Amino acid sequence: MNRTASKFLVIWVLAAILLVAPVACGPTPEPEARPEPTEALAEGAPAAEAAAATEAPAAGPAEPVTLRVGTTYIWDTANPTIGWYNYGLRYLLYDTLVEEAGISHFVPGLAESWDVSEDGLTWTFQIREGVTFHDGTPCTAEDVAWSLNWTIENEIETFSFYLVNFAEIVALDPTTLQVTLSEPVGNMEYLLMYVWILPRSVWEGMDYDDILEFEDLSAGIGTGPYKLVEWAESEYLILEANKAYWRTTPAIDRVIYREYATEDAMVQALLAGEIDVIDEAPRTAIPTLEKAANVEVAVMPSTVIDELILNSHEEGSQPASLNDPAVRLAIAYAIDKQQIVNVGFLGYADPASVIIPTSMGDWHNSDIQDIPFDPAEGNRILDEAGYLDRNGDGIREDPDGNPLQYRLYAEDDATETRILQIISDGLSQIGISAPPTPMDQDSLIALYPAFDFDMILWGWGLDPDPDFAMLIFTCDQRAEGGWNDSGYCDDEFEEMYRQQAVTVDHKARRELIWKMQEKLFEDRPYIVLAYEEWVQAYRSDRFTGFGLEAGDILWKAAFLMARPVE
Amino acid sequence: MERGNYILRKVGFACLTLVAVVVFNFLLFRILPGDPVKLIIHSPRMTREAQARIRATFGLDKPIWFDGERLREGDVLGALDTQFTAYLRNLLRGELGISFANRRPVSDILAERVWRTVVLVLGGDVIAILLGVSLGLLAAWRRGSRLDTGLLLTALFTWALPTFFLGIILLILARGHLPTGGMVTPGLRPQDGLVYWLDVGRHLILPTITMAIVYTGEYILIMRSGVMEVLAEDYILTAKAKGLSTFRTLRDHALKNAMLPMVTMIALTFGYTVGGAIQVETVFSWPGIGRLMYEAVQKRDYPVLQGAFLLLAVSVIVANLLAEILYSVLDPRVKAE
Repeated sequence: MNRTASKFLVIWVLAAILLVAPVACGPTPEPEARPEPTEALAEGAPAAEAAAATEAPAAGPAEPVTLRVGTTYIWDTANPTIGWYNYGLRYLLYDTLVEEAGISHFVPGLAESWDVSEDGLTWTFQIREGVTFHDGTPCTAEDVAWSLNWTIENEIETFSFYLVNFAEIVALDPTTLQVTLSEPVGNMEYLLMYVWILPRSVWEGMDYDDILEFEDLSAGIGTGPYKLVEWAESEYLILEANKAYWRTTPAIDRVIYREYATEDAMVQALLAGEIDVIDEAPRTAIPTLEKAANVEVAVMPSTVIDELILNSHEEGSQPASLNDPAVRLAIAYAIDKQQIVNVGFLGYADPASVIIPTSMGDWHNSDIQDIPFDPAEGNRILDEAGYLDRNGDGIREDPDGNPLQYRLYAEDDATETRILQIISDGLSQIGISAPPTPMDQDSLIALYPAFDFDMILWGWGLDPDPDFAMLIFTCDQRAEGGWNDSGYCDDEFEEMYRQQAVTVDHKARRELIWKMQEKLFEDRPYIVLAYEEWVQAYRSDRFTGFGLEAGDILWKAAFLMARPVE
Repeated sequence: MERGNYILRKVGFACLTLVAVVVFNFLLFRILPGDPVKLIIHSPRMTREAQARIRATFGLDKPIWFDGERLREGDVLGALDTQFTAYLRNLLRGELGISFANRRPVSDILAERVWRTVVLVLGGDVIAILLGVSLGLLAAWRRGSRLDTGLLLTALFTWALPTFFLGIILLILARGHLPTGGMVTPGLRPQDGLVYWLDVGRHLILPTITMAIVYTGEYILIMRSGVMEVLAEDYILTAKAKGLSTFRTLRDHALKNAMLPMVTMIALTFGYTVGGAIQVETVFSWPGIGRLMYEAVQKRDYPVLQGAFLLLAVSVIVANLLAEILYSVLDPRVKAE
């Protein structure tokens, strides 16, 4: 009896000690314990935040200007050769030959200008003079050539595929780079936009495995406007301005990226003034943010599209009726895109027509008039095509007596589920039965290779060049590991795809892209539902001057343009 | 001797469970729909060769259980060169594979984060145990009183409250006074000494309170019903008849017996310590194991998930084993079974 009693005592004492430890740290007032004023500016005691913000400019020129960015992206690694979630960071650290300023609008980067030969095979780039990497080593045309060749030789999986047609890359002199292609490309600027120029001083001599496993912070060395100073995984990143940046000295001395696991917590942090910008605001939080003092909401176009995939594979498991163009047209008449925008996206999207969104400028075929929401017209088309409800159960049958009953799938998140219901309701108005079936993403992805579905609600974040949007409808991409999720395969389309890929002249290529959009609009492997908008928000009492026209507050130049509020 | 046998039996059973968990943990990630490589590859332009190389890097080019083709050729050892044997071989060496996302060894990633979760959950747990046991005892002692009803309702309410909801409400309430997330103010390092630890402590307050509130309700309910059951026993009546004070009756006779179900509960909670904080860590962006698992699910980082699951399973098995051993010490009837 006594022994067990003493054991209890031990447990209680241990528990008491453990309890005291975290609580003792807790309520201690702490602001004056901060090591330096810089830290207070970085993330002051939130109560004192407003004061810190207004005091900051008065504190004198020695005070570094710090922009604190909240993000929910999961950044895995400083190593640019692996990991896919770090794009937002990389364009601050590294430069590319060509940069994007606004969706599908390209500007010179490390290349000041470029020329292409008559046959479209030889490209000559004038490389900027006097550029250096963060470690002080120069970045001449020779270094650029080394970086590109290194990327190809090591098949760097995150960006070497942009260079598949690059047969030879040589520096003719310290400012001239010559690229010889195996076949012409119609989108050189776009291809070069993601190919980071990395320093020979860091990466030379490593074998393939060394490259992939390289974890040192020096993996962040580039020629970009910011240097990587500290990385705490799943917590934060600290970047410092590269005073020697070739474009200009950044006005923001320090950038701190803070990672949040949920958007709601990030929104609270913005409201509390713990951070200055959030890179993506959840649609449900926008009314709160708009009402908040000192917070500005920026709604911008994006390249994210949402579509209904109609199984178009000739060996797919869809009912024969779904292959009938009349049925597809009737389905298009039964979809209320405006309601999808209003209810599904809470208004932060636009009803869509073709695969290329309006945000992509003149690539978007604006001649095409979308099919309006008109169930009566849909019913008329189906009546005329001989799909009638013969047994009176409310569902039409094809001439062989098979009901127009389709499997309708989507991912099981809140937005998709709402949209799914709208589509299902619309289809029932024209006598088509398609009960909404949400499922998890992996199960959904597993359905594609077998083409074992009728309709799937899906979305894409498209590249700023139209090539990818077209690639997903080519026959080759139907094979395993490909990206064709509709099963669409058409000779005429295929030929146009091949042509646009090698057409260097913008106008000629655009004409092809417009024709391809028209073709897809008529064949309807996709019914494109909405072009999503991108919503960000920032503290207008702390910073101003973000270039909102670029379609992203946090694009590269924004870090150079934004100014602290005086 | 009797207790030795009992413990030996329990340890043996725990080992068997562990083996089953190890096999199941491997199987679980192979029966999921979809091709893991497809999940790593984010670019449609990646060549088939590059895809094949990624497959080889992660050992996904090998057959899962055994290589039938090589077996037919008579190459028995070669036939065993599979994903499963590689998994076992690595496990024996304490390796849990490499992360799809950043190619770091999973064991390193887990080791870096496990203490952060332990600190968070232990703090919340201990507060909850102290509060739960005392309030539960109080409620049972004052059974039927207004105090009891109040405590019971509060306990039921907090017990039913979804963790993430409670977390976000606390976060909104404390906005401007306490940090909304993270473990430390960016830029501070452990080398900064006290300042660093005080800052971590400040970041710990909200998640710890959330954990504590969520667990307290459960402990109150179990403690209350445990004590009430005991108070109805004849020996309590005897104790009262002997003229013992209420305090001594509770301390010497009621509490000790009522603690048995609590020990199970506490052991189970500690077992889930490692993975039990997924929601709290997510709401408060606490960089521990729970958040790691949440992010690994989002990224489909299967090796990390597999490693975290194994860690979670092992800690539950170990905690259960400890509870059973502790039981045999606390209650002599147990080992006789």
